[in-house]
Amino acid sequence: MTAPTLTKDAAAPAAPAARAADAGRTAQPAGARHLPSLVRSSARRAGRGIWASGAILLFLLLWELGPTYLASPSTRVFLPPLHEVLRALGSLLAKGQLQNHLAASLTRSASGFGIAVVSAVALGLLVAWYRSLDRFLNPLLEVFRNTAALALLPVFTLLLGIGETSKISIVAYAAFFPVLLNTIAGVRTVDPLLIRAARSLGLSNFRLFQKVILPSAVPTIFTGIRMAGTSSILVLIAAEMVGAKAGLGYLIVNSQMSFLIPDMYAGILTVSLLGLLVNYLLVAVERHFSRWRTAVGSQSN
Amino acid sequence: MTRATGQAPKISLRDVGKQFTVRPSKDQPEGTTLTALEGITLDVAAGEFITLVGPSGSGKTTLLDLLAGLTRPDTGQVLVDGKEVTGPGRDRAVVFQQYALFPWRTAAANVAFGLEGPGSDGRRLSRKERTDKARHYLELVGLSGFEDRYPHELSGGMKQRVAIARSLAYEPDVLLMDEPFAALDAQTREQLQEELLRIWRSTGKTIIFITHGIDEAVYLGQRVAVLSSRPGRLKQIVDIDLGERSGDGDVRSDAVFVEHRHQVWSLLHDEVRKAQEAGHAKIRPDGSAPDEAPQLSKGQLSKGRAA
Repeated sequence: MTAPTLTKDAAAPAAPAARAADAGRTAQPAGARHLPSLVRSSARRAGRGIWASGAILLFLLLWELGPTYLASPSTRVFLPPLHEVLRALGSLLAKGQLQNHLAASLTRSASGFGIAVVSAVALGLLVAWYRSLDRFLNPLLEVFRNTAALALLPVFTLLLGIGETSKISIVAYAAFFPVLLNTIAGVRTVDPLLIRAARSLGLSNFRLFQKVILPSAVPTIFTGIRMAGTSSILVLIAAEMVGAKAGLGYLIVNSQMSFLIPDMYAGILTVSLLGLLVNYLLVAVERHFSRWRTAVGSQSN
Repeated sequence: MTRATGQAPKISLRDVGKQFTVRPSKDQPEGTTLTALEGITLDVAAGEFITLVGPSGSGKTTLLDLLAGLTRPDTGQVLVDGKEVTGPGRDRAVVFQQYALFPWRTAAANVAFGLEGPGSDGRRLSRKERTDKARHYLELVGLSGFEDRYPHELSGGMKQRVAIARSLAYEPDVLLMDEPFAALDAQTREQLQEELLRIWRSTGKTIIFITHGIDEAVYLGQRVAVLSSRPGRLKQIVDIDLGERSGDGDVRSDAVFVEHRHQVWSLLHDEVRKAQEAGHAKIRPDGSAPDEAPQLSKGQLSKGRAA
């Protein structure tokens, strides 16, 4: 992490020198004067990009070369180099298998996640608003929250079978609590002064909720939604590994058991790409809804 | 009372008292009552600018909450236009010290906040009417061109201007201001005082302005009401007559101003001393006051004063 600051420090003394040189040649056209700084800034940006992707590239390089040159032949079987994994990924794509598994997983996680978000936000708003409901429900919610979702997987399977219902339910269960807790926290931490201000304008309880409490809680709720997105994928893959006929978790476990090791890694790679994509999307949505909360740091400029 | 001859007062406080129940604490397991206000009687004429000063804990904010309809008095009556105040209403607007802007709304959207929903005549304004009005009132407070800024992008003075615009936008008759300029630096404060007087003259609102600054009270008010230390009673009302103030002259160094200032200062001085000796501090919104616990006595106080 030290490198960006180093380059910044190195560039800083150079800038006044260049400006002094420019001042000497006043006859120079205005466009040309901007050019050096433009080149410098784009070079700096490119440098930063290379540095940021360096660790990933090194890791991929190690994956490609490590098994061939460093590992023993027996290990090589269990850890094929990157190009074999990519080839397996390509053929899975060509056969349409990967799409099927991906679609199965996405349908389950999206439905479970959607159910969780809707019900958790609704319950969270109620619990945060009615103190007595909170006192009544809180102990039970604490018990459930601290029961790992995967520990309940056998229960879900026994009660709901190995079909879609059990998987969607367990995803919903895992995604429910982060959203619920953040919704409660978001509503609780609304600035009381804003409520006073809105009350002085004569707003009814409903309007107050709609126009002050909800918008003010949205960023916190979205933090919960982002956390729920991550955990819903995690739990889904685990559930698919235990009992399923399709899905990325099934692909991974099934490939391992059929000794199609490159296929297994192709599945793992897809899971991590999917996780990255989901997180990226949720972060973008979260940022969109919390624009007004932009850090105090941006103010000082 | 003197000014209200001939017409009914806009605002009328009749023997108003307010008590809070202090929650039981470790030191006082019983829980006691705290009298914040007692026997306040005051008439304010329509279009009058009255300032309210008092030591900390004298119930200034409580009085404002009563006028705003955010709380109800325990004794007496609060009347606006001869009708008893039973809750918040669109004929009164509050401006808070900490601006209380909605951070997720732009300046224009903040100003338009009070315009959403049915108006006093039951009609809803269209989106365009609302933005036009918001623009107009932002212009009135000198913030043209800042419509799309979020509160975190504005300085303290600008935020308070937005808050004032928001209060004016739904056209209340009465502006209730709770130490609105206390958090601003001296220059911005003077500037905003000037602007507030200008807005008051051009709109003819009735303004009740709470402050702890004697200069501010004398400079702004046509009358200055001095509250006693807790329980808050109306100690005296000082009529301020600074003549015509249209020029750019330095009113604050005028002999008349200094005289008024000294009068208010003397009235307040004893009360501030009494409040300090009793260790009064701000009454919290839940009605408790940190100083009411007996344990928090001399030792703590002298430490506080030394700091």
